[in-house]
Amino acid sequence: MNRRNFIGFGVLAMATLPATLSALSAIDFRKEKPDAWKAHTVEDAIKALYGDIKPEATGVKVKAPKVASNGGAVPVTVKSDLQAKSVAVLQNVNPESLVCVYACDENSVIDYMFKMKMKKSGTITAIVEGADGKFYKGEISLEVALGGCEG
Amino acid sequence: MGNMKIKAKEKNGVVSVKCMAKHEMLTYDQAKKKGKEANFITHITAKVGDKVVFDVSTSQFWSKNPQWKFKFKGAKKGDELTITWTDLSGKTVTESKKIK
Repeated sequence: MNRRNFIGFGVLAMATLPATLSALSAIDFRKEKPDAWKAHTVEDAIKALYGDIKPEATGVKVKAPKVASNGGAVPVTVKSDLQAKSVAVLQNVNPESLVCVYACDENSVIDYMFKMKMKKSGTITAIVEGADGKFYKGEISLEVALGGCEG
Repeated sequence: MGNMKIKAKEKNGVVSVKCMAKHEMLTYDQAKKKGKEANFITHITAKVGDKVVFDVSTSQFWSKNPQWKFKFKGAKKGDELTITWTDLSGKTVTESKKIK
């Protein structure tokens, strides 16, 4: 199944699901912002996701090992005390830039950990879309000993 | 045995969840080399009752058999946490676990 079909499938699936009235509803950012997932640079991906923004480099902590021995599973932690609407994680070495987008509400605690692939040494960027409408950014650069994208 | 390993613990009103799913997470590049279709988890949602407590749209760059952790407020011990993931092929897996 190719990407185009998948997006079509997503639309169909969303249409058949009953609408939930909870504060935090499942937002499929793949469906909402398909272009962001195809962007090859961090700048383009941010633009496709949030538009022309100038995030402040404060309030967001990104943690990752300084030297990752295995690029196939680099543990990354994103932390912030900000009240957020969404959190996006991007990097600048894999073929496409966007890694994941979290949807948040007032019950979310921004302390996310996940393991990701890194092709080579690079920078991981986290963008927090604050509930106040402003954008905040955190970054970390790390070295990768063995690339994780080649499988 | 299911597909996911879920651990959920409540402390001081905050629930911490550790999770691991079994999935190959084949990127487009890897898939090309292996002559397979790319396939990876694209969306993960966690719910307590009807309420969505965690939601993430993911890409091919999460690791193979991805692990992730998250925290949220507004649930108590004994509540059932339900996690669902969807992959590129449209497969979904849902599993639930009681919050300890």
